[in-house]
Order: sequence, then C-alpha cells, then structure tokens
Amino acid sequence: MSTDQDIFDAIVVGAGPAGLSAALRMAQGGLNVVVVERGESAGSKNLGGLLYTTQLEKLLPGFQEKALREGALERAVSRRRIVYLGEQRQMALDFGAEVWATGNHTWTVHRPAFDRWFARQAEDAGANLVEGMVVDGLLYEGEGTARRVVGVRLRGDEEFRSRVVLLADGAHGLVGQAARREMGMGSSHPQHFALGVKEAIAMPAQVIEDRFGLEAGQGAALDFIGEPFKGLIGGAFIYTQRETLNVGFAGRLDSLRKAGVEPGDVLDRFKRHPEVRRLLKGGELLEYGAHLIPEGGIDCVPQLAGNGLLVLGDAAGLVNMSLYKEGTNHAMESGRLAAEAVLAAVAAGDFSRAGLASYETGMAASLAMQDLRKVRELPAVLEGAPGLLGDYPDRISRLLTDWFTITDEPKEALQKRAVKQALGGLSKLRLARDLYRARRLM
Amino acid sequence: MPDLFDMTLEDKLYRTRYEPDSDHPHITVKVEVCRTCAEKPCVLLCPAHVYKRKPDEREVVLVSHDNCLECGTCVQVCPTDSLEWRFPDGGMGVKYRH
Repeated sequence: MSTDQDIFDAIVVGAGPAGLSAALRMAQGGLNVVVVERGESAGSKNLGGLLYTTQLEKLLPGFQEKALREGALERAVSRRRIVYLGEQRQMALDFGAEVWATGNHTWTVHRPAFDRWFARQAEDAGANLVEGMVVDGLLYEGEGTARRVVGVRLRGDEEFRSRVVLLADGAHGLVGQAARREMGMGSSHPQHFALGVKEAIAMPAQVIEDRFGLEAGQGAALDFIGEPFKGLIGGAFIYTQRETLNVGFAGRLDSLRKAGVEPGDVLDRFKRHPEVRRLLKGGELLEYGAHLIPEGGIDCVPQLAGNGLLVLGDAAGLVNMSLYKEGTNHAMESGRLAAEAVLAAVAAGDFSRAGLASYETGMAASLAMQDLRKVRELPAVLEGAPGLLGDYPDRISRLLTDWFTITDEPKEALQKRAVKQALGGLSKLRLARDLYRARRLM
Repeated sequence: MPDLFDMTLEDKLYRTRYEPDSDHPHITVKVEVCRTCAEKPCVLLCPAHVYKRKPDEREVVLVSHDNCLECGTCVQVCPTDSLEWRFPDGGMGVKYRH
C-alpha cells in the first residue's frame, strides 16, 4: 500500500521538450514531479537540428544568454534558403541575413546537448529526473468511465504512483499508444509518419561560415526539394551548427514504400547532387541516425486528456509539417499548458478528465493547434498534387535558365520560347487548381 | 577513411555510438505471422538494415538488433503486426551525441 507521501503529484514519461517544459512549469508551481527518461541522459535518443524558441522564452524568460554560455545553443539562424534541385539545374531562394542578425527565435542545436541543458533547468526548478529508466506501461484503477491512470510501471516491475501522468514519450511512443487504446483516447485518423535519416558531419567553423555566407556565430537553415526526392512526399535539409552540419532527408513512409526506395539511398542521392556535394565536401561523418516524425496533422491528434492522463508533444502528433517544420516549439507549448492544467487540478483536487479540462481548452486555443488547423489539408494536398514539390519548381527553373541562356535570337523571341517551353503540356485548369492548393505549403 | 559520398551503411553505423544489450534482443519476430506477409516492407524501410529475408524461407529474420536506431519504422510499416518490440533496457541501445 502506498501512503500519501509516496505519491507524486505528476509523473512525466519522456525528457524531451514537451515533458521537460511540463516538469519545469509544474516544479515552478511547487508540485512534486518526476520525469522518467529511458535514454542514458535526456536527449540521447533524440535527433534534430533546428529549434524555435518563442515558447522557451515564455518558460525561461531571458534563457538565451545562459543557454549560449552553457553550450546548449549552436548558431542563431540568420539565413534561410529554399532550394530546388533539378537534374542539371538548381534554383534557390535565399533570404534573411542582417535583418535576423540579432535573432529570429530560430537556433540550431545539438539535441542531446540542448535536452540535457533543458533537463538541468527543470531540475534546478525542483523537478526530479530519473534517467536510464524504461516505463513499460501505466497503472490503472476503476472501470468504465471511471477508469483512471494512477501511475507507471517501470522495467523490472517497480512502480511509481501519481495523481496524473503526462505522456511525452515521443513519436515512437509505445507506452502512449497502448495507454490511449486502454483509455479510449483515439484520433479520428491513424497517424501518418515520416522517417527522418540524418548525418552529423564535422566541418571547421570558418569553412561553414565561408561556404554558407555567414558572419561568425550565425547559422543557416536550408531546405531542399526536387529531383532526388522524385515521387516521394519529402525533402532534405542542411542546418549549420558551430562545427558540424546536420544533413538529412525526411520522407513519408507510405511514399517510400510505394516508390520502393530505401530512405538511406535517398539521403545518399541527395548528398551526391553537385549542388549539395559542393556544400559538404571535405566534411567528416560523425554520426548517423533516424527518427520518426508524426506528419498527419490535426486530424491525427488524439483526445488530449483522460482521467489522470495528459498527452503532449510528438506523442500527440503536434507537428506542423509545412515549410516551418515546427515541432519542438509546439511540444513546449503543450508542456506549459499541460502543467497549468495540472496546477489547476491540484488546486481543485480533481484529476479526472473534467478536472484537467483546461488542457484541452487551452490547447484548442493554442498557437500549435491554430497552426495545425491552418495546414489541415496539407497531407492531402501533397498526396493529390505531388507536382508542387517537383514538376512546378522544375518548370520555373527551366524558365529561368532558358531566359538567361544567351543566344542569337532577339530577346522577345527567346523569352516567348522560354515561356512556351515552361508551360508545355500543362492544363490551365490543373495549374489554377494546384496553385490554389499550393498556399497550404506555407 | 571512406569518402563522405560513398560510405556504406555499415561505415555510417560504425560512427554511431551504441551500448548494445546483446543478451536481451528487444525485437522478436512472430515467425508464423511474418511468414504470411509477402511484401516485408521492414526490409526496405528500416534505416539500419536490421531485417533481412531468410534466403530459402518466407519469414523475416533479424540480422542485427544491435544496429537498431530505435526509430520505430518497422512497427509502423509491418502489415501483419508480427513484431514484438520493446525498448532496450534503460540507458542501453543507441546513444546520440549530435
């Protein structure tokens, strides 16, 4: 029998951005909180290079100076580039630079280092962190609509008991998936996952800055679409850290399966494109990794609260899969709102779904859900109009190269020919329909 | 040092840090169910080539769960639900640094 002293106010499963945000806020509010992380340390199972920090600023006002000093942040992104890679042509849109030199709430990070730092902030606020411990399942009591979560079962059959459990166990969240089935907290659609494969490549800081056109300490985020990803729903990226590049490809699993291509082969094809090879050459591979990304959008977000249970971050599918590729920021917002709901539940002594309802209402009005609502149709658009990431940019890049390929023709004839070639075989109706759909990409 | 643009998957995985729990495989294949699947998308899509077809039989065999990056792709794409997948023990398995 547990006595009252043995019961945590809250157990958080997973020490990623969502779980740590929740733990930090609950600890700041004086609750007795434990975070259980299966990795050797927070972040050791995580990949990713780009971090939006507006939500972190709400949790830890003025965090930036401390985080920089303590090595949690790599480079402030001052420059973004969207690149179309054709077979013999490329086309890029490069923007930002000085206007973002003083910060754009966009940073490159090494997730293992950042997550470890973030975990330390939660600990400093009073949260308990148990690393290297696997949660194998949840503990339940009651039947029917009164069924509630009362704790977690750890590997080796030890138990932690709590008033509420926060599931922040990520995209490959086996515990969360099982718990949602048990509690009947499904989503209207099954999740669509993308697989990201990523390499960390070492490169001297000076080379990175020269190659990507950066002042010292500033960073670049490059997104790529085009020929290496033909027939796939996906693209690639390069993020610059201080002395490494993060180079990766992320593509929807269903599209890879249909095309019959291996994710690692797509990444290699991307790296060997002449435009990309120029950026990477001379680098040395430090690490290879893979991670799932829930890309189904708002229709795949499950019921977020149940009796004694909240679902956060990637475990809840809170990813904006448009060009923003925003996940950690949404995870942190969900963590903050979940913590506030738990604080309210503690004050009222009610940990039922009704007692935790402010999480669901808070999330409905959150920036995360507003953005997910905006891109609701994007997965269907990408399935229905794959040309948006391939055929259309190819036509534009062809138009530009033809336009500027100097010949003996008068410019009027040259330009007419270029336009005619670019529009060849394209129905006006389809063009109008696809352009209307394209706004969803933004 | 293999060239950055011509590395095999084995070259790449060699750079990733693991603490394998070799005595306790965290993935087991339910062979009877797996045998009913002709496509075996796990073989194509696992980014660490953990799965390989047995040459003369229809079931999948695990090549090396020690290479597993714990991404969960195999669980998501398995059409027959043949994989019993549990996390490696605490602190074991893949350990990312970057």
